[in-house]
Amino acid sequence: MSEDKGLKLKEQLRVNDRELADTGHLFGLEKLERKESDPGTYEAVWHILSNLCNAAWSVGCKVSSSPIAAEGGDALWALHTPTGEAVCVSRGITAHPGLLADMIRNFIELDYEDYPGFHQGDIFENNDPHYGGIHAPDFDMAMPIFYGDELVAWTSCVSHVSDCGSVTPGSIGFLNPDCYSDGLCIAMEKVGEADKFYPWYDMRIKSRTRTPDWVLGDARGRLAGCITVREKLIEVIDKYGLDFFRDACKEYVEDSRRYAVGRVRTQAVPGRIRKSQFKDLAMKGKRVLLGKQDIDCLFNLPMELEIKADANVAISLRGASGTVPFGENISPTALKSGLLNGYSHIVGFDMFNSGPSASWEVETPPGGSWANPFEKDFSASSGVAWAPAVMWMSSLYEVFGRLYHMRGFIEEMAAGAATTMTAEFAGINQTGQYVAGLTLEQACNGSPARGFTDGENSAWCIYTPNADFGNAEIAELYYPVLYLGRNLEPDSAGYGRFRGGLGHTAVWMVHNTPSIEYQCGCAGIRSKTISNHGMYGAYPAVPDRPAYAHDTNVKELIAEQKPLVHERGDPEDQQITNNVKARELEDAAIAPFVTPEPLQDYDIIVHPVSGAQSMGDPLDRAPAAVEDDLNKGWVRAGVAERVHGVVAVSNGRWTVDEKATAEKRKTLRDERKGKAVPFRQWWDEERKRVEACENMDAAVIEMWRSSMELSPGYGDELRAFWRLPEDFIFELPAAGKEES
Amino acid sequence: MAEFHKEDIARLMDGVLPWPAVQDMLKSPKDLDRFDKYLEIMAERVPWDDTILLPLTPQLMIVARKGERVVKCLCGQEYGDYRVNWKLSALVHVRDSQQALDEIYRGRDALDEAWVQLREYICPGCGSMLEVEAVPRGCPPDFEFLPDLDTFYREWLGRELPDKCEYEDRTLAVVAEWSSEGE
Ligand SMILES: [Zn+2]
Repeated sequence: MSEDKGLKLKEQLRVNDRELADTGHLFGLEKLERKESDPGTYEAVWHILSNLCNAAWSVGCKVSSSPIAAEGGDALWALHTPTGEAVCVSRGITAHPGLLADMIRNFIELDYEDYPGFHQGDIFENNDPHYGGIHAPDFDMAMPIFYGDELVAWTSCVSHVSDCGSVTPGSIGFLNPDCYSDGLCIAMEKVGEADKFYPWYDMRIKSRTRTPDWVLGDARGRLAGCITVREKLIEVIDKYGLDFFRDACKEYVEDSRRYAVGRVRTQAVPGRIRKSQFKDLAMKGKRVLLGKQDIDCLFNLPMELEIKADANVAISLRGASGTVPFGENISPTALKSGLLNGYSHIVGFDMFNSGPSASWEVETPPGGSWANPFEKDFSASSGVAWAPAVMWMSSLYEVFGRLYHMRGFIEEMAAGAATTMTAEFAGINQTGQYVAGLTLEQACNGSPARGFTDGENSAWCIYTPNADFGNAEIAELYYPVLYLGRNLEPDSAGYGRFRGGLGHTAVWMVHNTPSIEYQCGCAGIRSKTISNHGMYGAYPAVPDRPAYAHDTNVKELIAEQKPLVHERGDPEDQQITNNVKARELEDAAIAPFVTPEPLQDYDIIVHPVSGAQSMGDPLDRAPAAVEDDLNKGWVRAGVAERVHGVVAVSNGRWTVDEKATAEKRKTLRDERKGKAVPFRQWWDEERKRVEACENMDAAVIEMWRSSMELSPGYGDELRAFWRLPEDFIFELPAAGKEES
Repeated sequence: MAEFHKEDIARLMDGVLPWPAVQDMLKSPKDLDRFDKYLEIMAERVPWDDTILLPLTPQLMIVARKGERVVKCLCGQEYGDYRVNWKLSALVHVRDSQQALDEIYRGRDALDEAWVQLREYICPGCGSMLEVEAVPRGCPPDFEFLPDLDTFYREWLGRELPDKCEYEDRTLAVVAEWSSEGE
């Protein structure tokens, strides 16, 4: 029951929806009365609630004991209104508040208020993408909070478990062929009461995950954090009164909506923004699970935003390509939640809650696409649903960067994001314990270039504000590997006037194990291709290309005190290739993959973590900045000269030759004009090549085919641009068809 | 509290404003006349007199010129009606062969010419690289931003532009003209 007129929560939801539609304000709040009448208390209570969520995060992560939570803090707690809107969230995996809010709403929509009912101490969970979850390893929990006999709030939590019992070990299930392989499933369930899990909940985790102690630890951590929120919240309500609390919670959410809309109106420009984006998943010839997976895929991830006259934002994914027989399909609910994460970084970050999403009109992605799979492919897998979604979301940074630039808010700009290539190990570790889990390496990327300066190196992560790659020594405690190196990676960001922050490379030697699986996973990477983030004339960051050596001579190298592998080295002169002999050596592997054979002692892994995107013509980069990068080893001399046009000499220390640099840059600019042709001339030739599918990989052709079929309007526009026949469809050449 | 002097905005644009001052700007409530300051700075910097309506990118401005609204490079090169993707009036260098791609992405970082082409849009006037696209063959060029200029001035800035322009994408109309001329 809610406080208004004794309505049921489901009835209250309808009232809320109507009030938003009628007034344009959440909960019909045309005035923020609590804020206006007592701004001090309003602000103070916000910080108390915020700290309460962060206290839950600290408690919950410590109770968890799994490396992902305890060392990486990869979890999140939130406080919600009775109808589910997130009011306030902790630090941690900020991709989830939207999803947790929708989950609570779904419990209400499904009439759980009647059966099984809501009571103090009840524990509800979901991880099933069919009902709005993102992927199986993210366990979403919610508990109602009663004050007296009234349901006054919800608290929620998500934690990313180390193993969810999917067909392959770990939590980045990119190889899952269908949802039946996604692992342990909790489908909108009541999993406990009176602050205690049911015994069968624990029993299922014990029999259906590979690391039950950690997964159960995470469950205890979620519960401990939620109880922390509840108990502290009751004290807050005792102090400030229930009426104030109820009103203020609604106002915080509406306030946040107003902030986001106000920001768009005062710092952006109305109009239409378009940004194409593509992501590969090349699996042909690799170790896969089912025959249908012996294919290469390319995802189409187009973004169109319409900034409307009222400063609301319409968001479309028209043109998204079809589902894939891998774990990289995402439900629209989870996609929208991811969008709130990106939006909170760049638009609505004053009070991070559900508010800003009320200023969007998100067009339902095309049914049967990777972003709305179940309509046509009910058994699609979402093992690592985040992967294509995060690459799409990366466009949000660049497009808002462009909008802020147009209004002159240079200090607010960002280029595109870095990527998320994961490393997971599964097998027996040095203590004889079976482990399966993610290292934290990827949780620490370069940050995007900004309008006035370079991004920060190894200091940023798109899915969590707590960018942290964890301590090497801790990783060595859990997994049977030794770090031979962990270095900033030169040239790992894009090349531009302002450079993205650099990523880093971890070099591991497998140590003290009978054998271990290394899965170089995709939680949002590109390897065959690169991002379309050439903002203002920068070159996009290099593709993700890890390396490994299996069955090596490293034991002998150590005995003979010969050089090992501590870093990657030049792209054309790599340490692993130069220093190691191995039965199997991949020095520029196309990710993602699982090595064909499990790795053994003295095998080497080189795992680079991406830098971020840049902005501006690389010839406009200040020569002094290039000199500084040369002296820090952050740019290689060849890139400095060829790409940035900087002539420098080294006698132990690099010095730029200003005059030669100016001449070199002039020459390069003239050469550009010489090599380039008028657009129309290129278009005339190119459209014939497009029509003939000339030099287009099968993955490219199949992507265009599905995109144009699923979004006919998008297809029509593509045909019109290249003047293709009205009935033109992209088709694989006949030879390719006969094979299948 | 930042004061947002015009000189500081100019130094910010040039990447030379000291970090503490930038932080101050980031944390303070914004100056609501930033757009006007920005237009003034740009007007002082360009070697031509047309009124800037909107800086589309750091290099390309939408300007009012003889009753038209056209895209114009800082160097003076013009790209025509702002409602047509300006890329159609640029030079383009397309790297769609392995050799051309390898000049930028070497060795272990090599791209695959059957998956991606690099399109470098170059200003015919000054040789600046204005945008780079990395897309598979068949992708129409991104029309990054089509502003609703009249709504922007009238409803958001509170001042009318002297003339009116339909808010519509005219790119495909130009392509259709090319095609009929070619036949
Ligand atoms: Zn120019």
